[in-house]
Amino acid sequence: MRARVFVTLKPSVFDPQGTTVTEALHALGFDAVRDVRQGKYFELDVDAASVEQARRIVSEAADKLLANPVIESYRVELEERAAQPAGAPRHPAAVAEATK
Amino acid sequence: MKFAVVVFPGSNCDHDAYHVAKHVLGAEAEFVWHKDTSLGGADVVVLPGGFAHGDYLRTGAIARFSPVMQEVKRFAAAGGPVIGICNGFQVLLESGLLPGAMLRNRSLQYQCEHVFVKVEQTDTPFTLACRPGQVLRIPIAHGEGNYYAEPEVVARLEQNRQVVFRYTTAAGEPAPEANPNGSVNNIAGLCNESRNVVGLMPHPERACELALGSADGLVVFESVVKAVAEGEMSVRR
Repeated sequence: MRARVFVTLKPSVFDPQGTTVTEALHALGFDAVRDVRQGKYFELDVDAASVEQARRIVSEAADKLLANPVIESYRVELEERAAQPAGAPRHPAAVAEATK
Repeated sequence: MKFAVVVFPGSNCDHDAYHVAKHVLGAEAEFVWHKDTSLGGADVVVLPGGFAHGDYLRTGAIARFSPVMQEVKRFAAAGGPVIGICNGFQVLLESGLLPGAMLRNRSLQYQCEHVFVKVEQTDTPFTLACRPGQVLRIPIAHGEGNYYAEPEVVARLEQNRQVVFRYTTAAGEPAPEANPNGSVNNIAGLCNESRNVVGLMPHPERACELALGSADGLVVFESVVKAVAEGEMSVRR
């Protein structure tokens, strides 16, 4: 199972990096970009029998380590992968999302 | 009187703290490797500055799981004095021994300079030899020292007098321009509710001898020596 975890600062938390990127984009003429929030992205390869089990494992990992709940929130995406040789096209049998 | 200085992979102020304890104060001092499971009978624990585990993921996020931290938690729960300096403060936050978290500095720059820090509370083991309101001139050196906590948490910290150090002007005014990193309420250091665990971003251990430009930080270490000598901080072992 492949899991993607997106960690971002909570909306109430000031993001100095995002603000600086916004200003840089404006300097480049990207006036249409109103705001930027910078975050972190993790790809996890998880052994799990079901999407539900994988979500439980990944959410616990995010709670304990990947995100700091004081300042960050996260979103989990799961994609079931059939056992295939490396490089073969993937068939996303199930994509599930969970947000916390 | 013995200091334990915890060494994480990437700690780089461990020798400064050891030097102050052993050579400036004449106390016993011992390095404790982060994989150790004993604090060696120490009376005080120092979590030093640096870049534990390369600051990977978040500052202090990996160090929190080092085996020695279980011992540090036990020691703190038994009332033992623990101080986290700079990266050590970040480790205390990540491990939940102190509330809140650190954000990137408002300037996005690594701030390396001497600042003025006012001692707001003198009833902690690391400030009891300070005069109330004493202003210390000590250095900071960090990229992520922008203290943040939810407004209700900050309100509780203020109400409980847990803000131990605040960035101020030389005259002790907590002005916005005296705030080097954007910390909420100019917070430079905190203690826990039982007041034996203290964390601060500035480096008192780098300002303990006049040859280094300031000896204002020495009072922090003298305080804990006094606290232990007076038996206020005896830890059941």
